[in-house]
Amino acid sequence: MTSTTSRIAKPGALAASVALALLALQAPAAAFMQEGPDRWGPNPNASANGGRVDTLFWVITALVSVSFLIVLLMLLVTVLRDRARPGVKARYDHGSSLHDKRFTAGVSVAVFLLLDASVLWITMHDLRETVWNIPTGTQNVLRVEVLAQQWAWNFRLPGADNEFGTPDDIVTINHLHVPQGRPVVVHGSSKDVIHSFFVPDMRIKRDVNPGAINKVWFQAEKPGDYEILCAELCGFAHYQMHGTLTVVPPDRWDAWQAEASHIAQATYDENDTEARWAWDWKE
Amino acid sequence: MSGDHIHPAPTSFLRKHVFSTDHKVIARQFMWLGLIWLLIGGGMAMIIRWQLANPGLPVPLLGHLLWPRNGGAVPPDSYNTLFTMHGTIMIFLGLTPLLIGAFGNFCIPLMIGARDMIFPTLNMLSFWTVVLGAGVAFASLFVPLGAAEGGWTAYPTLSSTIGTPGSGETMWAIAVFLIGASSIMGGINYITTVIRLRAPGMTYTRLPMTVWGLVLTAALNVLFLPVIGSAMILMVLDRVFGTTFYVPASMTQGGAGDPILYQHLFWLFGHPEVYILILPAWGIVVDLLSFFSRKPAFGYKVTLGALVTVTVLSAVVYGHHMFTTGMTAMLGESFMLLTMIISVPGEILFFNWLHTLWRGSLRLTTPMLFAMGVIFVFGLGGLTGIYLATISTDIFLHDTYFVVGHFHLTMAASSLFGAFAGTYFWFPKLFGRMMSEKLGKLHFWATIIPLTIVFCTMFISGWAGMPRRYYDHTDSAYLRPLQHLNVLTSVAAFVLGAAQLIFAFNFIKSRWWGAKAAMNPWQVGTLEWTLSSPPPHHNFDTIPVVLSGPHEFSHPGLKDRDWLPQTEAAPALPPGAAAPHAAPAGTRA
Amino acid sequence: MTTLAMTVAREPRRYQVNTTLGMAIFIGSWTMAFATLFVCFLFLRHREPVWPPVGVMLPSLPLAATGTGVLLLSSALLHAAVGRGRIGAAGLAPLWGAALALGALFAVLQTWLWLDVWRAGFHADAGNYYGLFYMLTWFHALHVLVGLVALGWVWAGILRGRVGVLRLSPALATSIFWHFVDAVWVVLFLGIFVL
Repeated sequence: MTSTTSRIAKPGALAASVALALLALQAPAAAFMQEGPDRWGPNPNASANGGRVDTLFWVITALVSVSFLIVLLMLLVTVLRDRARPGVKARYDHGSSLHDKRFTAGVSVAVFLLLDASVLWITMHDLRETVWNIPTGTQNVLRVEVLAQQWAWNFRLPGADNEFGTPDDIVTINHLHVPQGRPVVVHGSSKDVIHSFFVPDMRIKRDVNPGAINKVWFQAEKPGDYEILCAELCGFAHYQMHGTLTVVPPDRWDAWQAEASHIAQATYDENDTEARWAWDWKE
Repeated sequence: MSGDHIHPAPTSFLRKHVFSTDHKVIARQFMWLGLIWLLIGGGMAMIIRWQLANPGLPVPLLGHLLWPRNGGAVPPDSYNTLFTMHGTIMIFLGLTPLLIGAFGNFCIPLMIGARDMIFPTLNMLSFWTVVLGAGVAFASLFVPLGAAEGGWTAYPTLSSTIGTPGSGETMWAIAVFLIGASSIMGGINYITTVIRLRAPGMTYTRLPMTVWGLVLTAALNVLFLPVIGSAMILMVLDRVFGTTFYVPASMTQGGAGDPILYQHLFWLFGHPEVYILILPAWGIVVDLLSFFSRKPAFGYKVTLGALVTVTVLSAVVYGHHMFTTGMTAMLGESFMLLTMIISVPGEILFFNWLHTLWRGSLRLTTPMLFAMGVIFVFGLGGLTGIYLATISTDIFLHDTYFVVGHFHLTMAASSLFGAFAGTYFWFPKLFGRMMSEKLGKLHFWATIIPLTIVFCTMFISGWAGMPRRYYDHTDSAYLRPLQHLNVLTSVAAFVLGAAQLIFAFNFIKSRWWGAKAAMNPWQVGTLEWTLSSPPPHHNFDTIPVVLSGPHEFSHPGLKDRDWLPQTEAAPALPPGAAAPHAAPAGTRA
Repeated sequence: MTTLAMTVAREPRRYQVNTTLGMAIFIGSWTMAFATLFVCFLFLRHREPVWPPVGVMLPSLPLAATGTGVLLLSSALLHAAVGRGRIGAAGLAPLWGAALALGALFAVLQTWLWLDVWRAGFHADAGNYYGLFYMLTWFHALHVLVGLVALGWVWAGILRGRVGVLRLSPALATSIFWHFVDAVWVVLFLGIFVL
């Protein structure tokens, strides 16, 4: 017995010491613990339709948790009950009878219906009603053009004339203002590499590709500032490519837009070709 | 080519140990190569986790050596290289040589009753091609403008010369091409060998599932590696000859290409690739669960059908990696539906695994623990695939740590556990010695617990919105409150990394000083266990005649043992015994 | 079969099946590679409103068509050679040699085809028409090169008496590969020059 213990004692002790040493090296990490509460999930949804993503997430979580618990339970029962014991023989069963095949088929169909089909049903509604259903026209809809670059977000609002490429376009870098309670349709492209326009609090994400235009929409329901993140590797400063989405309450939107447009027109420089990026809006 | 005659064993050192055409030697060569590169890739992961938990802090031990000009901390571009090479190395230089190269080479001829692979010289070439590819990949780490940094996915136009100038990315593409070529060579060998060199009586339904897993993998390799090979050719031409296959007309470049074309090519290969990595592990698990439950594998033919179905469907689900690229609704919904459908054969596999264990007589050896571990990790990982197959949730979770957790559980952990299970199981036959059971069990528990913590924490991080491939999450106000999750993940990852040293120690110590192995220490019936440990150069003195299947355990007609070698026919049932669910047709004499 | 032939061991028929099967799988793999590249060609081509694009100097159709004919003839001769080899009739060596020579001629014509447009300044970076043209033909040419080496090596074997009716599998494998290279060229020719 002692030889066995000593045979594992030394490498075991070595492993434990290494692990402890590495754990101890985590002390500096404490310096990076932020002030304020830790978060364990996303911020509450701030958009009109983002709640559907949350609902679906939790529905799937409930379904997979139950499934996994059943698997764990079966594993636990078999490990406890079916350990090799003297005099107890395993059951000789190839599982190839018709009964077994029918049972397998039945369980597969049941699992598919319970897990996949129900989830499919929910997501198809979401997709048809919101994700694919991009609002058109200019009635109540705010149009935004996004041009991503290494490593910043260029935004363009059309201003009161709802035309892109005119002097009253509100062009900003890394800061997008949108009105609360109105659909915002975003058309995005990239100057250079593929980026991805991700606003976690609105539960939206869409890649923005060079040489192409991708479309996404959302409707912000709560005023405030939200972060925009890049969600597609775009170079060494990918992690620094943040923007701010400011949702302006409805009573203040017109005033803000008017002032921003006014400033834009006043500072419009016909010779600054780089600042005059814009493309014709195609629904 | 092998036939009934026995070729004399080679005598020179070079022919015996370096340029050997003996599948068993080549298998060991692949094994060492795979294990060494897993260590290197794993080391890179440790550095990545260090940086994420301690942004900007010098990396202990290695930092001042590798990045002296940055005070020993990982610079952002090197960080991008680290996760790029980590992914590339683990997949192409770690898991592929280990699972497919080593076990494919070792197990196939022995398990089918052949003396060697059907094309032994091609076999040797396939190993040395991987070595060449590994050399190019390694060399790429030292070029002036740095190694590849575009992720193992290398999407253009980041991977074009505008996004990533220099030869590092080009060398990466060449390395991937070479390693792919090696796998194709191996695939040709495996398929032809299994079709042509099975011993008399070794029908397709008497093959151990390990062999089936490897054959299906070989088929996918043969068909889909050329797709990524072509994608790499186009990339190299873009980078070196100035073509514009992937480069569109945009503000920074002129071209008539389409970066999304690359994504289609990449994932058309990429999705079958994940099945390439898991099928051998699945096959091994089917066999080992049967062996160590002393029970036939439940539903052999149905399981085989499930594996074949997954193989066939693997190519038509690839679009689920591209839901956020702006594809049409119809295309997206089709890929979503097909992805849901491909989960069904996976569920059947699970069902049959659990049913194999049920009412068995379980021997909880280290190989068995790892085989059961696959059920656990693949169950977790596979179920989280539902979130990603569903477009609505995928849009939020794409490119977050949720995906990282998912693929590490399904692809890395499951394949790796399969490889560990196979290593512990076939070690006696490979090296003639036993690995330490105590250290093996310690390795198992010291691995599965932190592994679960690491990747399940990532599900939380991902749901919280933490993107992947970020050098420093604390740079963002939104992500700073999530930093505690990074610390937790990293701490668990370090424990996980340290635990692998137990395996390394066990492997090396047992290889030269382990207890001598008997001919059939596990008491199982497949053909390799009828030979000495290790087998002679020519494997079988006389080609065996197969009379039963590989999973004939606890047959009621067996008297003083509960296993049956495949060279013996299943005995008659004892008088008066109720006929159990019979063996499938073709397994009885 | 003469008594003399029967005293020298003839390669078992199963060797030929093994080689043919292995080569068939190998061809399957290369088919996927060429199919992928060809699909990329079609995809990128159909993104362009006008094809061939304006101002592009077209590679010589007569030269390419001649090359196609040469390659087809080469395959036909190789097929005849293998037929002779199977029954041990005379003609294996000269037919094989002629097929090899025609293959080499194709390589010469291909090089001429490239030099023609390359010297006129149309390099691989001259837009997607040329990018795709060079990509497809260079990749094919690599296979032609490998095929020529294999053909030459087998021909040397035939001349030395090591390949023939008693040991045909190297010839079988090489001829399957050569026919594949030929078939791919026909598809490329149609795609680039005809359609």
